[in-house]
Amino acid sequence: MVTLGNLSQSAAFICSLLAMVLLLTGLMRNDLRFIEAGRRALTGVAVLASMAAFALARLFMTDNFQVEYVASYSDRALPIFYKATSFWAGQKGSLLFWAWVLSLYVALVAFNTRKETNRKNTPYIYLILSGIVAFFFLLLVTVSSPFELLAYMPKDGQGLNPMLQNPGMIFHPPTLFLGYIGFTIPFAYAIASLISGKIDPDWLKKTRRWNILSWIFLTIGIILGGQWAYVELGWGGFWAWDPVENASFIPWLISTAFIHTSIIQERRNIMKVWNMSLIVLTFLTCIFGTYLVRSGILQSVHDFGATGLGGYFLAFMIVTGLGSIILIAESYGELRTKHSLESLLSRESTFLFNNVILLAIAFSTFFGTIFPLISEVVTGNKLTVGEPFFNMVNTPLFLLLLAITGLCPLISWRKASMSNLKENFLIPFALAVAGGAVLFITGIRELYPLLAFTLSLFVSATILLEFIGGARARRKLTGESMLLSFPRVIWKLRRRYGGYIVHFGVVLVVVGITGSTAFKLEKELTLQRGETMSIGDYTLKYKDFTSFQDRNRTVYAAILGVTKNGEAVDDMMTERRYYINAKQPTTEVSLRMSLKEDLYLTMPMIGKNDEITIKAAVNPLLVWGWIGGVFMVLGGIMAIIPAGKRRQAV
Amino acid sequence: MKKSSKKTGIALLLILAGVAVLILKGVSDTGVYYRTVAEVLTDSALPEERGVRISGEVEGGSIHYDQQALSLSFVVRDLDEPAKKMKVVYGGVRPDAFDADVEVILEGRYDAQQNTFYAESLLAKCPSKYEGKTEQEEE
Repeated sequence: MVTLGNLSQSAAFICSLLAMVLLLTGLMRNDLRFIEAGRRALTGVAVLASMAAFALARLFMTDNFQVEYVASYSDRALPIFYKATSFWAGQKGSLLFWAWVLSLYVALVAFNTRKETNRKNTPYIYLILSGIVAFFFLLLVTVSSPFELLAYMPKDGQGLNPMLQNPGMIFHPPTLFLGYIGFTIPFAYAIASLISGKIDPDWLKKTRRWNILSWIFLTIGIILGGQWAYVELGWGGFWAWDPVENASFIPWLISTAFIHTSIIQERRNIMKVWNMSLIVLTFLTCIFGTYLVRSGILQSVHDFGATGLGGYFLAFMIVTGLGSIILIAESYGELRTKHSLESLLSRESTFLFNNVILLAIAFSTFFGTIFPLISEVVTGNKLTVGEPFFNMVNTPLFLLLLAITGLCPLISWRKASMSNLKENFLIPFALAVAGGAVLFITGIRELYPLLAFTLSLFVSATILLEFIGGARARRKLTGESMLLSFPRVIWKLRRRYGGYIVHFGVVLVVVGITGSTAFKLEKELTLQRGETMSIGDYTLKYKDFTSFQDRNRTVYAAILGVTKNGEAVDDMMTERRYYINAKQPTTEVSLRMSLKEDLYLTMPMIGKNDEITIKAAVNPLLVWGWIGGVFMVLGGIMAIIPAGKRRQAV
Repeated sequence: MKKSSKKTGIALLLILAGVAVLILKGVSDTGVYYRTVAEVLTDSALPEERGVRISGEVEGGSIHYDQQALSLSFVVRDLDEPAKKMKVVYGGVRPDAFDADVEVILEGRYDAQQNTFYAESLLAKCPSKYEGKTEQEEE
């Protein structure tokens, strides 16, 4: 298996080089046969990469601890499916995973475009993709092979970090990767347009599904990461503005901006330079994420430490970045548009403002992330910023963005007249103001939470009106009942309504985040058996203490009787686990979720005579954040379901 | 058409200016100095109004934890110059990873007269689980 892994990995590298050579030859001689051969070589890379991936998975399954990577991230006692996920637990395996998925994506592109090899841009797309694939395999073959052997055969592996032994490990890293990697494809299309000198006006249309799909994966990955942090790490939060979290958030923000303005380009044929730049930036920030975890320049929970790969990624980013800037500058004349925005008060301009704010959030997040590295140069002092900085800068920007999300559908394309604005504006505005007043009276007096909830109402109202309006229009046209026209119009115009569903998901996420951060209750207390503590509406009684052996760990558990407003509701068990291979124990969160609030318990300490320290928190409305995430993903999926035979109006 | 793009331009500039102000204010209000233990000891001329983040190693045998009162005190030494030490007082739960010789990141204020650091937050870095390994976490 080790030989298979090594061989297929090297062969994949050589095959990707071969593809480059064939494509270049084809381009120079203007010979389609070479292009076709190059296209097939790309499929070959995917096959070889799959064999390498299979080999590594097999090595984990068969406990081959002579392989250094397997020995570092697995042991015999590890449950079988965590053995499989150990594939991406470390730097080397995750690099192979990246290269493998990328090669599969590329093979898919090669397959989809098999009848388009004669188009001018296609060979360039292949060429760029094969170059990027070759870069990843170069790293695997030369400096970071997961198939390296130890000089001896250890009796057992060192095990997987207990924190990674969580269902989150199965989905969070791969979905993030699928997102990061996916943006390579639209990037290649964009750059191919620029190199070939023939700007393909359709590149956005052709890559729309790739963009949105990658965005969906990124969204899923980020949300699952938050959920994992919440249920596993036990500090009670879901987002800490950790450098690597930020590194996933930055491309998310930029691609979100890109998805919005690509709609403008499709409709109005403006903002071409802007869109080119955004996709380049999205791709680069995706690479920046991998650079950050592999370079050791910043401290993070996700850090792999200094791996010696940082330099390669840095070089790759610089080359790609500079190359893209030059190419865009060269084609600037052709890309520039004759039309421009017609009015400040038009839907186009709301998209523009949405973009500026998304990019501003991306920039401040990037700035805060790398600030420790540049602070000495900028301020002459070693300064660092953390959570308070990001919250202080980004919260008002998010609120502004939310306001624009609500305004956007109220303003018509090109130029809105004041009267049509007033007409559209009235109901949602009245609803939001009334809702805000009710919240104010019931005691929500802080500015940001009040604004967040009021704006959420406003956006929800505009979305609802948009749905009703669409259904009404259809009913008028077809004479169907409202019950029928409602789902039908949504399905028919799923691209647009999918977008609105995503927006509604964002609103729910805002509600969840606002509720659980602004109104969070927290308490830490040490209890003897029989003692109670109270938090919010809850009283917790320390009932019992127990310990038991479970597979690869010893578990100590405390049982707490929970009463809410005097009524017994539940017994909750919170655990500390000692894994065989880990020096330090881990805290297991006990969670009681409801639509109103979560009760969140951990036991950070066990003392003598079963004395325990309990950390309890009440997180209001948090569940709505996860529900919102589901809406965002479903809306996104809805927007890319292909239209049937009939052309779909947008 | 000219007029409206001018208006849009002005609106955009206003937003950008706002963002710039926010970032600058964010840095000046929330920025925290980071220092090594040795640096804090030699250069106590740090302004009082701002917190300091320091990293160092926990001295073995110096750890006192009162579970009832949830208070933790220990001695932290410089990473490079182990002779430079200071006392740390922290009110809160002892983290899972906290132990002798573990690297910790502390945020709080330093009292030069008592050579004591009053920590508001304490982060124990996951010790590399395995000897000689630099890689330890996921992505």
